[in-house]
Amino acid sequence: MSLEIVGLKKSFGTKVVLNKISFGLKKGEILFILGRSGTGKSVLLKNIVGLLKPDDGQIILDEKEISKLSEKEYFPIRKRCGMVFQQPALFDSLTIYENLAFGMRKHFPKLSEQEYRARAEKYLQMVHLENVEEKLPQQLSFGMQKRASLARTIAIEPEYLLYDEPTTGLDPVTTTAINQLIQQLSRQLNVTSVVVSHDMKCALDIADRIIVLSEGAIVAEGTPSQLKTSEVPLVKEFLKEVLEGGSQ
Amino acid sequence: MFAASLKLIDFTGQKVLTFSHGVNLWLNYLSEFLITLISTPIRIKETIEQIYEIGYKSTFIILFSVSFAASVTIIEYSYHIRLVIGSAQLVPGFAALLILRELGAVITALLLTSRVGAGIAAEVGTMKVTEQIDALKLLNIDPIRYLVVPRFLATIISSVILVIFANVTCLFFCMLVSSSELGFSWQSFLHAMNHFAQFKDVLLSLVKAAVFGSVIPVVSCFYGFECKAGAEGVGRATTQAVVTNAILIIILDFILTYLFSFIY
Repeated sequence: MSLEIVGLKKSFGTKVVLNKISFGLKKGEILFILGRSGTGKSVLLKNIVGLLKPDDGQIILDEKEISKLSEKEYFPIRKRCGMVFQQPALFDSLTIYENLAFGMRKHFPKLSEQEYRARAEKYLQMVHLENVEEKLPQQLSFGMQKRASLARTIAIEPEYLLYDEPTTGLDPVTTTAINQLIQQLSRQLNVTSVVVSHDMKCALDIADRIIVLSEGAIVAEGTPSQLKTSEVPLVKEFLKEVLEGGSQ
Repeated sequence: MFAASLKLIDFTGQKVLTFSHGVNLWLNYLSEFLITLISTPIRIKETIEQIYEIGYKSTFIILFSVSFAASVTIIEYSYHIRLVIGSAQLVPGFAALLILRELGAVITALLLTSRVGAGIAAEVGTMKVTEQIDALKLLNIDPIRYLVVPRFLATIISSVILVIFANVTCLFFCMLVSSSELGFSWQSFLHAMNHFAQFKDVLLSLVKAAVFGSVIPVVSCFYGFECKAGAEGVGRATTQAVVTNAILIIILDFILTYLFSFIY
């Protein structure tokens, strides 16, 4: 296992959002975490990258416990774990190139400006964006902003990519494109991916493994083919939605 | 009766918890801010950009507003002083003192609060709800160093410069009104003003300007960072920032004026 979550617990006030979650993740794997809104999926990702601190439990990255690290100690972890947010989260006062260069300058301070530019172009091409370097985020469509955000994340060359609902708010065509991109990047860059979503169809298509969360706990776990035969009511509900969506 | 008492205890307990949580958030934020301020190098380029945004772009609105405030002050002063002592001789001196000790710094700070404080809270709040603050942290950029410190330095510098301009503008408009309405020549106005106002009044007004200027970005960024999701959240953060800033400026003005009264 390269990333292991052990008994993770997180509450906000009296509301328990994650209740002793445990799972592991192998190198190069694409793991989908499914669940209805408000079941703690995003909170889980934010705990992994240290934006939130768990109340209890462990997050073990390559045999090192990271959940108790200070902000400074998290620096190398965040270089290794990139996160694509639910919102594009691009800095709106900076151009797309500057958005990409911003992180690269911090993580690769020895590169020249030309190298930053070359890298930015390479990663923008990888997410199928061209000639957008000098544009401001607000001049792009929401789907393009999401892809630019993904390019910014992969530009720091993380080993782990965490996606927080990457297709929320996108049209079906862009959703398919983003899903293909997740799979392509995972294979092309050999990164380990954790995708938080409520898109069962996409999970069945590209995930190596799926975890289903409900009320802060794991209610089902397995490969796509295992989940297709699951008797768990929530999984059945998700599958029913996929079938209904397919028949429409 | 018992149920009502329990409800009251529950209500009080909730309020105490909310209050202590708020105090805790403030203390954490202030300690983080102070540590960052003294331990990291100043980002000169961003600070200059902020001086342009905060100071330069506020100049017109502040000078325009204080010119009217000064005119009102001298008209009111002349009316009341004439009523009490039957002469307008003391009007320029008293007006100059009021402008230098109070009006210039306080009105400038309140105007900066409404223009700059609201702007900062809305900007940082929007960054919070669109996850830009989280993105900064993931790129290992400290939001306090990146957002708060340049605005803090820029607002202090801008506030001091604007108060100098505001004081000069106020005095100029006082002179204008007193020459046209009260029959003072410009020389006699300046002479009367010199008799009352001293250089330390100018210096102390700049101390006030610096203190007020330091409060606005710190408070506004705090509410931005604590902003809840959605347009309503940003609106609420902006309102809270403006109200808190205005109250703090008035309280600080009282404290500073009291302390300065030992020096005047």
